[in-house]
Amino acid sequence: MKISPKIVIFLIIILLSIAFPFFAGPYQQSIAKNVIIYMILALSWNMLLKTGQISFGLAGFFGIGAYASVLLSLKLGIPPILTIVLGGIVTSLVASAMGMIILRLRAMYFAITTLALGEIFRVIIHNVPNFAGGAHGLILPGVIFDGNGLYTYWLFLGAALFSIGLSYYFDKSKIHLALTAIRDNETTAKVRGIDIFKYLLIVFTITAGMQGIAGGLYAQSFGFVTPESSFSGDFILLPIAMALLGGIYTTAGPVVGAIVLGVISEYLKLYIPYGHLIVYGLIIVIVILFMPNGIIGALYVKIDGRKTFGKVDQPNE
Amino acid sequence: MSKLEIRNLTKKFAGLVAVNNVDLSFGGDEIIGIIGPNGAGKTTLINLVSGIFYPSSGQILIDGTDITTMPAHKRTRLGVGRTFQLIHPLEDLTTIENIMIGFIFSQDLSMKIAKEKAEMLCRSLDLDRWDRSVSQLNILEIKKMEIAQALATNPGVLLLDEVMAGLNSDELKELIGLIKKVAKEKKVAIGIVEHVMGVIKELADRVVVLENGAILADGSFQEVMKNPDVIAAYLGGGNYA
Repeated sequence: MKISPKIVIFLIIILLSIAFPFFAGPYQQSIAKNVIIYMILALSWNMLLKTGQISFGLAGFFGIGAYASVLLSLKLGIPPILTIVLGGIVTSLVASAMGMIILRLRAMYFAITTLALGEIFRVIIHNVPNFAGGAHGLILPGVIFDGNGLYTYWLFLGAALFSIGLSYYFDKSKIHLALTAIRDNETTAKVRGIDIFKYLLIVFTITAGMQGIAGGLYAQSFGFVTPESSFSGDFILLPIAMALLGGIYTTAGPVVGAIVLGVISEYLKLYIPYGHLIVYGLIIVIVILFMPNGIIGALYVKIDGRKTFGKVDQPNE
Repeated sequence: MSKLEIRNLTKKFAGLVAVNNVDLSFGGDEIIGIIGPNGAGKTTLINLVSGIFYPSSGQILIDGTDITTMPAHKRTRLGVGRTFQLIHPLEDLTTIENIMIGFIFSQDLSMKIAKEKAEMLCRSLDLDRWDRSVSQLNILEIKKMEIAQALATNPGVLLLDEVMAGLNSDELKELIGLIKKVAKEKKVAIGIVEHVMGVIKELADRVVVLENGAILADGSFQEVMKNPDVIAAYLGGGNYA
């Protein structure tokens, strides 16, 4: 059997990722965990973008997953790892119920509605003191694995690999054809037999579940949730910037974007406190203007010798 | 062998009656030409049958099944296929992927089998640059791709909406031959909307003339062309000459 160099490189990267805590300090590990949280969000946002729908609901689902996970731990005493998974499932259920209604909307109407819904969850939790802690949030008695950095990192890595696998499946299976067809032309998609609403609902539910899992991981590793931190706008802006920087409509794009921008953002916080948001903004503008297909798109052009990648500047013979 | 029945079909857009009480049925391997002046309701009729719009009143049946209120993707599964007057290719997919979606989503075939079948279909239509992106195809190839896309859904009734528009006379001849071949080999009933009379004359077993949404005449090409109402619709009535 022939082993392609791609698979070898991929395996080496996975092994290096698993071994990472052995040659990195606690600070580097915490950066890596942060990168993974944003990577999952960026991947899931990009998966829904393939249908042409832009969601700003990431923070909303992230928060629901975080709160569901913490509440299940506190009230029912379920083990943390299980609550993270259950938090993802709860988020998926909420998203599918919402999706039934809002997936009839398109483009900016959909985007604005998702933004508003995410905000509604924050406001509700803020104002329900007895059940979910109100404005003070909830504090867990301990963090996941009792603070064992190694296990926590591997759990995060597992979640990242799961998300990458899911996104890759979406790129290679018939779902890719359905979603791309819906993005390109809904009329053609439906007369060729694609049940548009069904596919939108499937993707919306799955991606919301991923965002919920990211929220659960975040909450369980820090041991607390508050309305302001768990529904923070950072969980909308940064993942979108990362996906754009890396290259949209691919799996590698959000992964690369999350690593690059995630590491840069740490240094920015150190050297330009409070100014780092301006730098994100500049990066997004520069990427959209000069590298519309992101880092991955630019690499494809260099490595494959293709003139172009994706939709932009397709040459006509 | 499928049969499409349209009964008393009416579509109103606000005050405008685009399709007015149309009764029409065809099937088997019949090729039926649908002609009429601009704005006669030809494309609206196709849109109603394929499920892009829903009718104001009336019924549409395919093989006896009422599809009047059925969503478009379900109609495709029952055998309604169509192409578009303004070409609608999926630009982010390759040509072969454009064709594969029909096999995959209306016939539930796997990616691998869909690819093989799509390649076979491309060969039978002389569409050999199937690995290209759609934007690299010429206009004839795009028309062929749209027909292949529709055929991939295994239609019993295929509605072609001005498929000849924008082609030169050689390309026209090639596509006419192809449509004849398709009707014969795949045993599909074809409804063809066309402005080029030569095409209708060449292809249609039966011609239906629409004017202001209603059927003005129905018969063979020769019969219809002699009909004084049809002549008046196209050239203006004698009273105004």
